[in-house]
Amino acid sequence: MVIRRLLNYLVPHKKALTVASFLLILATFSDVIGPVLVKIFLDQHLVPRSFNRGSLIILASSYLGLNILSAVLQYRQLVSFNEIALKIVQQLRIDVFSHVQHLEFRVFDKTPAGALISRITNDTEAIKELFVGVLAAFVQNVVFMLGVFVAMFYLDVRLASFCLILLPIIIILMISYRKVSTKVYRRLRKELSYLNAKLNESIQGMSIIQAMRQEKRFRQEFQTINDNYYREAMANIRLESLFVRPAVDLIYTLALIIVLNYFGLQSLTGPIEIGVLYAFINYLDRFFEPVNMMMQRLSQFQQSLVAAERVFELLDDHRITSKVTAPDSPAISQGKIEFKNVSFSYDSDARGAMALKSISFTAYPGQTVALVGHTGSGKSTIANLLMRFYPVTHGEILIDGIPLSRLSDQELRSKVGLVAQDPFLFVGTISSNVALSRSEVKETEVRDAVSFVQAESFIGRLPQGLQEPMGERGATLSSGQRQLICFARTIAGNPKILVLDEATANVDTETEEAIQNALRKMRQGRTTIAIAHRLSTIQDADLILVLHHGKIVERGTHAELLAQEGLYYKMFILQHGSKDKEE
Amino acid sequence: MLLFKDLMWFFKLEKKSYISGIVVLVLVAFLNLFPPYVVRVIIDEISRGVLTSVSLLHWTLLLVGTGLVVYVLRFSWRLMIFGAASRLSRLLRKQLFDHFTLMSPQFYQKQRTGDLMAHATNDIQAVEMTAGMGVLTLVDSLTTGGLVILSMALFISWKLTLITLLPMPLMAWSTSRYGTMLHKRFHRAQAAFSDLNDKVLENINGMRVVKAFGEEEAELEAFRSLSEDVVEKNIAVAKVDALFDPTIQLIIGISFFLALIFGSIDVINGSLTFGQLTQFTIYLGQFIWPMLAFGWLFNILERGRASYDRVDTLLKINQKINEKDGALDRFDNGDVTFAKASFTYPGGKTPILQNISVRVRQGQTLGIVGKTGSGKTTFLRLLLREFDLNDGDLQLGGTSVYDVTLQSLRSKIGYVPQDHFLFSTTIIENIAMGKPEASFAEIQNAAGIADIHDDILGFPEGYNTLVGDRGVTLSGGQKQRISIARALLLEPEILILDDSLSAVDAKTEKSILESLRQMRAQKTTFISSHRLSAVEEADLIIVLKDGQISEQGSHSELMALNGWYAGTYRRQQLESLLEEGAEH
Repeated sequence: MVIRRLLNYLVPHKKALTVASFLLILATFSDVIGPVLVKIFLDQHLVPRSFNRGSLIILASSYLGLNILSAVLQYRQLVSFNEIALKIVQQLRIDVFSHVQHLEFRVFDKTPAGALISRITNDTEAIKELFVGVLAAFVQNVVFMLGVFVAMFYLDVRLASFCLILLPIIIILMISYRKVSTKVYRRLRKELSYLNAKLNESIQGMSIIQAMRQEKRFRQEFQTINDNYYREAMANIRLESLFVRPAVDLIYTLALIIVLNYFGLQSLTGPIEIGVLYAFINYLDRFFEPVNMMMQRLSQFQQSLVAAERVFELLDDHRITSKVTAPDSPAISQGKIEFKNVSFSYDSDARGAMALKSISFTAYPGQTVALVGHTGSGKSTIANLLMRFYPVTHGEILIDGIPLSRLSDQELRSKVGLVAQDPFLFVGTISSNVALSRSEVKETEVRDAVSFVQAESFIGRLPQGLQEPMGERGATLSSGQRQLICFARTIAGNPKILVLDEATANVDTETEEAIQNALRKMRQGRTTIAIAHRLSTIQDADLILVLHHGKIVERGTHAELLAQEGLYYKMFILQHGSKDKEE
Repeated sequence: MLLFKDLMWFFKLEKKSYISGIVVLVLVAFLNLFPPYVVRVIIDEISRGVLTSVSLLHWTLLLVGTGLVVYVLRFSWRLMIFGAASRLSRLLRKQLFDHFTLMSPQFYQKQRTGDLMAHATNDIQAVEMTAGMGVLTLVDSLTTGGLVILSMALFISWKLTLITLLPMPLMAWSTSRYGTMLHKRFHRAQAAFSDLNDKVLENINGMRVVKAFGEEEAELEAFRSLSEDVVEKNIAVAKVDALFDPTIQLIIGISFFLALIFGSIDVINGSLTFGQLTQFTIYLGQFIWPMLAFGWLFNILERGRASYDRVDTLLKINQKINEKDGALDRFDNGDVTFAKASFTYPGGKTPILQNISVRVRQGQTLGIVGKTGSGKTTFLRLLLREFDLNDGDLQLGGTSVYDVTLQSLRSKIGYVPQDHFLFSTTIIENIAMGKPEASFAEIQNAAGIADIHDDILGFPEGYNTLVGDRGVTLSGGQKQRISIARALLLEPEILILDDSLSAVDAKTEKSILESLRQMRAQKTTFISSHRLSAVEEADLIIVLKDGQISEQGSHSELMALNGWYAGTYRRQQLESLLEEGAEH
């Protein structure tokens, strides 16, 4: 199954493959023909001592010519096969990466990032070995072996037929080796993974081991695993010694015996062609190296298949966000947001705890709705749903009266702007981080956005201004500065709706002021859903929703909520009370 | 070659395997000269017309015999040499692991787990390769290569040998040139691959932003161009890599050509028989491998050398906690005294703890609070002697901890670290970590006090449930409580809870603390916490700020002081009110 699927990737390269195979066959042909020329030389010139200068020169030059031709063709076909293999792996990589782009957020919640990354890079790299090392080598070697047989048949049909019995012997050897080695190899890998796990765990838990004085015990346990691994490694060595090189060499001796006896017996009854004997011995000499090579690639083959299985497993994960590309998608013109009885659970089977329970509210165009509550109360979930990161479990979200699910990706992403809590910057420049790939955001828009959020002063101080390169995650900037760039990124798209997840990171006073100013400006004329961690920043909100365990427990304006003297009131007092005491 | 000298200690250890392995290898090299000789004899007998069926049978049987003997010999040297190499890697792994268990936390602060793992796996593998493949290649290329040349030169024709070997240096030269080119291009390919890796990492980490701005296609485009770059760089590698085989093939072809031309001339003037010519070409074929192997040898040695150096450096790091000569192995009681203790991390500039003086009597509980980074964890780890004080003293039961053995010190202490670490084994083994001989009743009792017993019974296999990847996923709170049970099982003289209740809810925290008070009335307990409710009932609370004690006293004294403690306490009270607030 896995193999067939991998082979399917060859299909688009049919043409290149044909060319490469053709080169391979030509190269092999010119390679195998050498001994035939030698045979002609021996039998027609050397043995009868008839030296015709003209035909000798032709023989010699064609021998050398073929040699050179073969080398050139060989080189070309090796490169072509490699190219094809590399392109296949690239395609596979792109497929996985693209698939991952469209996976639902649930998958990211549940799968460690490391696992996903290693699917895209390391596992595909292992598959590369399959195509470059195994497949190409197998094709090349099999063609070469075929070529040798064709030449042998050309020289002497009967002897060549005798030599055919070598094939089943080799095939049986390979099959039985693969069969036994798969088991042994699997056990070896398993022991190795135990060994690594034990090592990893012991290194990480060393302080506990030492505090509990269990060093001796862990040493012993490790030694046991170490011994087990050694035992399997030895089994592997034994197996390889039994089946691979020594065995193949034995078969070579057998082949030599067949050839010698054939000619020897024949010579007892009549004359033989010494040249043919020479050519056969020469072929046999070169016939067995490919066999050795293929045997050694077998274990690699196994490893690549396992990697391929993992990659396909990810590709088969069908939890992808359905892409909405309706060309007649309704447009967001006003920015009115309605949550109608929205409930949501992060578990797809909806048996898990509900993160939101019957949430209903309306944000009218231009209004700011603030969400407050403690960690885990459901604030961020509301933002996640509005961004369509997850589908709602029950109820409905409407924007301008249109169900969220009917809006095209393009419309939604361009009209709803997110300011995430963690200011995430891509590797690139400030300018590229603000513009992203949006064609409508050009240099002027970037400049406008930057000046809108008043980030130009600090950007102006950077040696290269907007073109300042950002290292990994913008590590050279302060978190407040990164925040401002993210604001500019959002505002550059001129969204109708803003989803603000307020940063909790500590920033210096100056930047803090810039951030607050920018936020106030950004909210003007836009419908805003703001997740607030500090109540001071949302006192002017049109509606404040107080969330607790996924439910709206209080709602109203700042003044109304204070008058209620409920949860909001307590929070407010708390934050203000503690602010004075904070050192 | 230097590496072989470094590894001499091991070769001596495995003297028997290596000497017999090498003897067998040499034997095989000799025996391999035989089949070509048989070919020559038979061809010559055929061409002279003197071959008989008897002599044919005779030679055939000899060939069969040699073949079988060589098979057995080849099998056995592999076991001897590769087996010995495998034992070397086992030994090195053991040495490394044993070494790891002796290293102090300082060592683990400097070394990343990934690096340590790499040393214990990849590097050791490279050394194993040297001790196996390296030895084989060296011996084999020297003996086979030498013997083949000798036989060609002595028994056939030294002139012909010289002529046919003429192109060989060209082969050595070109392959080594390709090698250098390959090295460079390979590095570039690796760099491109690591760029690709970084991109994937960035993409996965920034998935929210990617999705929010609908950047999926742009990301794919960026990925596509990076993967294109990887392909390009790899094709550049392939272009050099593909040079090896054809070049070798070409040069060998030329060698054969020379052998035939000049050999034929010799045959014509009668100084060479036909069989000898054939024998010669077979030998020529046998010479290819040692030639290639020799080039390869340097590669193996270079890698092995670098790896062995890394492993050796690691083994030579001496960051043990030293014990004084004649260290005592007992304490009189559970009093703990910090006397003007100061500590700076090795290599660090700012002191982590300064002039700390605290006295805790046996049976008392000390609460340690303060902001993140104020020195709480360091304070506790000093007790375990994970690090040693720069100044001042730390006494247990009136004896300096530096005057007693580590074993006796640590046997007195039960430690629950901040980053609760569980081993991927069963729950029962995790709890019994420090006391494998504990009875089931003891274990259940400890789990009960840590308020995790009921949780455990709820797991599919109770106490025998596996933890981690292969078993249940535990919540942070559950892990913490198991860590606590693990420490409680030891019934330690001194119990250290380093912010160990942060992930359990207020109610559970209360019940655990209550049980602890009852059970440990006669013993000393240290509790550090962010949540002040955990230390409220402590006999003495110290507030650390920038490594110094800024406030100390009982809860009521500190509240009266109206400083950081009182302010934080009030704020936390309100917060917890909030959490529960909406319930009613």
